[in-house]
Amino acid sequence: MTAITSPLQPTAQPSTIREFSFPRGLAGFPEASRFAFIYEGKGNMLCMQSLEYEEASFIVTPWDTTRLGEAPALSKEQRTCLKLDQDDHIMWMLVLNPFADKTWVTANLKAPIAINEKQLMGLQCIRNDADLELRYPWMEQPSLT
Amino acid sequence: MMVIRRKVGQAIRINDDIRLVILDIQDGRITRFGIEAPEDIAVHRLEIYEQIQQENKAAIAGDALAWLKQGE
Repeated sequence: MTAITSPLQPTAQPSTIREFSFPRGLAGFPEASRFAFIYEGKGNMLCMQSLEYEEASFIVTPWDTTRLGEAPALSKEQRTCLKLDQDDHIMWMLVLNPFADKTWVTANLKAPIAINEKQLMGLQCIRNDADLELRYPWMEQPSLT
Repeated sequence: MMVIRRKVGQAIRINDDIRLVILDIQDGRITRFGIEAPEDIAVHRLEIYEQIQQENKAAIAGDALAWLKQGE
């Protein structure tokens, strides 16, 4: 049995994977409401895998304040959805798209994912700012490096 | 599609808990709405929501775990 380790998934066997609840699913996958984060030892990248729909697996990476500045603020309704208490830590993740561009793996800055580790809750937060990039060049394609 | 005519300041009620008010019309072209809805109701601009839907689907156009493992 393979051990799984990640910032969101401390060493654990598959049978004990921590399950994160996404009460609103993801845009395009409204019924995918249970996800696990799986680390495969590749830098800061994790696989965010739906536990209901095998095909719904995403590559995600933590928000980088050095490159992007401060992570977004959550609205009151988003905090409620995440069951956030005043002192709960939010982990922000970006959904990467390795297939959008031959040169770059892109990151979706318009819809980052907020994680409440304490409550095991997640929410994709759609931001209405038209200037945010849907396909921000995040890193070169691994095959090019 | 249901079509309802409303003047500025008038509202539409959807179920018991969603209220949509026409705030003003700018330059005769742009309508500003005010939306009151429960906190568990997500409200988005349609074109942005559709963009995110498409991008999420594009991002899984393969097996993420296999992609992470490539080159091993």
